[in-house]
Amino acid sequence: MTAHRLPLRLKAFLRRSRLAQLALIVGVWALGDAVSRGLDLPVPGGIIGMALMLALLMAHGLGPASIRRGADVLLADMLLFFVPAVMGLLDHGEFIGLLGLKLLAAILCGTLLVMAGTALTVETVQRLMARAELRHDH
Amino acid sequence: MTIDWSLPFWPAATLLAYLLCRTVYRRWPGWYVSPLLTTPLILLAIAVGLHATYGEYLRGSHVLMAMVGPLTVAFALPIYDQRAVIRRHWLPLSLGVMAGSLIAIGSGYGLARLLDLAPELRQSLLPRSVTMPFAMNVSGHVGGLPELTAVFVMVTGIIGAAVGDILLKLLPLRSSMARGALFGMGAHGAGVAKAREVGAEEGSVAGLVMILAGLANVAVAPVVITALG
Repeated sequence: MTAHRLPLRLKAFLRRSRLAQLALIVGVWALGDAVSRGLDLPVPGGIIGMALMLALLMAHGLGPASIRRGADVLLADMLLFFVPAVMGLLDHGEFIGLLGLKLLAAILCGTLLVMAGTALTVETVQRLMARAELRHDH
Repeated sequence: MTIDWSLPFWPAATLLAYLLCRTVYRRWPGWYVSPLLTTPLILLAIAVGLHATYGEYLRGSHVLMAMVGPLTVAFALPIYDQRAVIRRHWLPLSLGVMAGSLIAIGSGYGLARLLDLAPELRQSLLPRSVTMPFAMNVSGHVGGLPELTAVFVMVTGIIGAAVGDILLKLLPLRSSMARGALFGMGAHGAGVAKAREVGAEEGSVAGLVMILAGLANVAVAPVVITALG
């Protein structure tokens, strides 16, 4: 009987506790990281962990309520976790000057191309699909 | 016994600066006060004043950086939430993401060649259109420097959120999916915030495209980038 009720109690605990949810997410990441390192895969641990988590959700092994509060903590303030990486600029004083301007120019032009290309592709495919559907109906 | 104050100093300073910048951003939202721009600027000013190196900064702050892994795992939830939209619009979305990723990598490569940038700079520039956790993962795998890519991703987000509005006026886009994809593919997180201002559907499509682009790049970018040499 206890063996039957324990998972239920664990589930109820998970739904309530933000910290337990965070621990679960970190645990799944650690598992993904161990798999990535152990099998020497070119895919990083975070991605493997995400696939694992998604599989758990899709297979209903885990309800979305069991991680939502924990995931929201990470997702809502994700910019904070990127700040340390951006501080890498400290070791790149050479970016102040012509090189920095070149990089800015490359990023500006590249981003304009990416945005226009992506949006026009989605728009075109949608129009073509709508037209095909129309022809199908007639 | 002496306590090494430099160890907790930088993570604490990072957290405080972030909270301050977040408050300012919520009060007066605009791409030029994005916490991703203002927080590092404050910290860089402090670090330059204290003559600190990146290594010293990272000694305590790598804990924050380590959370990028679990953050990637947390992205499973928004993907799960959007599964109905993915199922209904998988074709235009996946073609758009594919086109966007190829243009991002191709334009990065071409422009870097044109401007005569060093190979490691070029490789760091290629995954810039992808949200940070994915971009840093890709960069390390293709011979780029993850911390340089982080800087390029940040700059891309800020520029993209700023120029996206202009493009919206110039391009004949009738579908909200196309408008959302423009921001999600071109400017990741900063773009998603901007797309939410354009409309609710644009915002959710942008978030979805941002994640799909991250996944596509992790899978495809190493192959394409290695092929480009």
